Amino acid sequence: MKTYKMSKEKFPEFVELIKTKGKLYGPVKQKEKYSFEEINDHSDLDFDYQRTVISPKKFLTPPRYNTLRFVKFGQTDVFPDDELQIVLGVHPCDIHAIKILDRLFLGNIKDPYYAKRRENLIIIGHSCLPDENCVCQSTGTDMVEDGFDMFFTELKDYFLVWVGSDKGLSIAIDAGDLLNETISEEEIQEYVRWQQDRSTMFKKEIPSFKYLADIIHLNYDSNVWEQFGEKCLSCGTCSLVCPTCNCFNVNDKISMNAEEGFRERMLDSCTLPHFSMVAGGHDFRPDRTSRLKLYFTHKLKEYIGKYGQPSCVGCGRCIAYCPVDINVISVSEALLEEVCKKVEEC
Amino acid sequence: MWIREKKPVVGVFGFSGCAGDQLAILHMEDDLVDFFTSADIKFFHMAQSHQEVPEVDIALVEGSINTSKQENELKEIREKAKIVVSLGTCACYGGIQYLGENETEFKERMEYVYGKDGKNPEFLDLVGQPQAAEPISKYIKVDIMIPGCPIAPENFVPIYTKLISGLFPQKYPYPVCVECKYKDNDCFLLKGKYCLGPVTAAGCDAICPSLEVSCVGCFGPYEGSNYPSMIEKLKEIGLTEEEIKRKLRMFGGDVLEKNLDGDN
Repeated sequence: MKTYKMSKEKFPEFVELIKTKGKLYGPVKQKEKYSFEEINDHSDLDFDYQRTVISPKKFLTPPRYNTLRFVKFGQTDVFPDDELQIVLGVHPCDIHAIKILDRLFLGNIKDPYYAKRRENLIIIGHSCLPDENCVCQSTGTDMVEDGFDMFFTELKDYFLVWVGSDKGLSIAIDAGDLLNETISEEEIQEYVRWQQDRSTMFKKEIPSFKYLADIIHLNYDSNVWEQFGEKCLSCGTCSLVCPTCNCFNVNDKISMNAEEGFRERMLDSCTLPHFSMVAGGHDFRPDRTSRLKLYFTHKLKEYIGKYGQPSCVGCGRCIAYCPVDINVISVSEALLEEVCKKVEEC
Repeated sequence: MWIREKKPVVGVFGFSGCAGDQLAILHMEDDLVDFFTSADIKFFHMAQSHQEVPEVDIALVEGSINTSKQENELKEIREKAKIVVSLGTCACYGGIQYLGENETEFKERMEYVYGKDGKNPEFLDLVGQPQAAEPISKYIKVDIMIPGCPIAPENFVPIYTKLISGLFPQKYPYPVCVECKYKDNDCFLLKGKYCLGPVTAAGCDAICPSLEVSCVGCFGPYEGSNYPSMIEKLKEIGLTEEEIKRKLRMFGGDVLEKNLDGDN
């Protein structure tokens, strides 16, 4: 991995440069929220953000897209455009989330639609400071060593720029004078101090995250789940804003002429009423409690068994966006309390 | 691949309502020619003049039932149709007019409008005896519901085209919140503003929240709604129980009546 320095004055020029390579997206402030939008001018960018409503997963597994076009006697695959997409300003948690999605979609069975989009995506990360909902320190995803093409850490009047891939290196080479290879001892010191300061800024943590899987297992039949089930609105927000949730539904849409149509994938949520319904109409999880239990068990426990780590990256979106406060913290706190009730010392 | 044996016969029928759903079909200008050629449209209340109910494969029925004559006509449609689709929130749940469903109040209003002498106005012979507004499912078996006030083409077309292709569309209920998050929108409820997104059926593409307007529930109730929790949430925001129930009832029709059973 190569590291460079870029003075902040040069950043607009850098934005102009990467715009020539593909469609550029970055964090944009829209009223009170942030989202990744297309960038026409560097002044559209606002890096002073904690989280967007929807993570950069929207570039890899968009909410709705066609996978197939069919006509009366045939069909053709519909693949995403070949155009390069560059996302600027991705935080470490969201980069970790993309690494998790990669493992799933590019594992033994490659998803061709995801693979194509991933191939054409350049990720340029950006450092961040936590707000009251960031819990990435608990999940160990507050730092990122790989999974990006470039990563910018914002210090006083310059950025330290990490290059994490060949694609990133080729951008760095193109950037030429915009990047400086000499980093002074003082600047390294400043970076270390910045990291240390940042690590003290976290206000919340997920209790006992390391053994949360066991706690969930031990509390599988606890009535804590019922209490959350009573509150849950089954609105699907938690899954849609989660940067690692990726379940989708498939629907064939026939055009009005009844002669052609498209097969569409749309993001789904395991908290919706018919999610676990199978052919014949049997529903394995007709009630909110069991659906909610599935959501958290899958994310925090089952994923570990399969991929060696949970699929929560501590981005704080469920904490910020669930209208009725059902999130990774409130659930783990309640479950831990249950354990404490059973064991006297806790 | 599917192959249709023949064009199905379709009828579009209208009862009480603003006729907005029939209009929404006629407004699909890019698809209109295909609409009239992909199926054999034998009856279209708003688009043609002769008014005899034919035998149809698929009946799209709009509007709530408000008179005895409508009730009879509806039953005739059911007898002559293989599949009945309720089109729009009025046909599905009773619509806004369902708010006047209460029998005594209904009588009072009739008297207020048409006089107290007990004499029915003459035109009632033409339209039948008035009765409180009801969704069509109150009188007949409905096979598929396509709600909306009015229906949204992007929601209506894929369901309809499956039907005319001899396929049966699978119901997959989800609320407005899902489409709202597809659009990367912020949540009104978290900003202390009311929004009925979590208890409202999707299909509108979250058009109002995307334009910074709270969802008022015009696509009718979402099947997975958690009303007690939603009411609690809206109270937390500062609405009174009465206000909340009034908002829920506006487009909730008979479903809300059952869910808020006995409450005012």
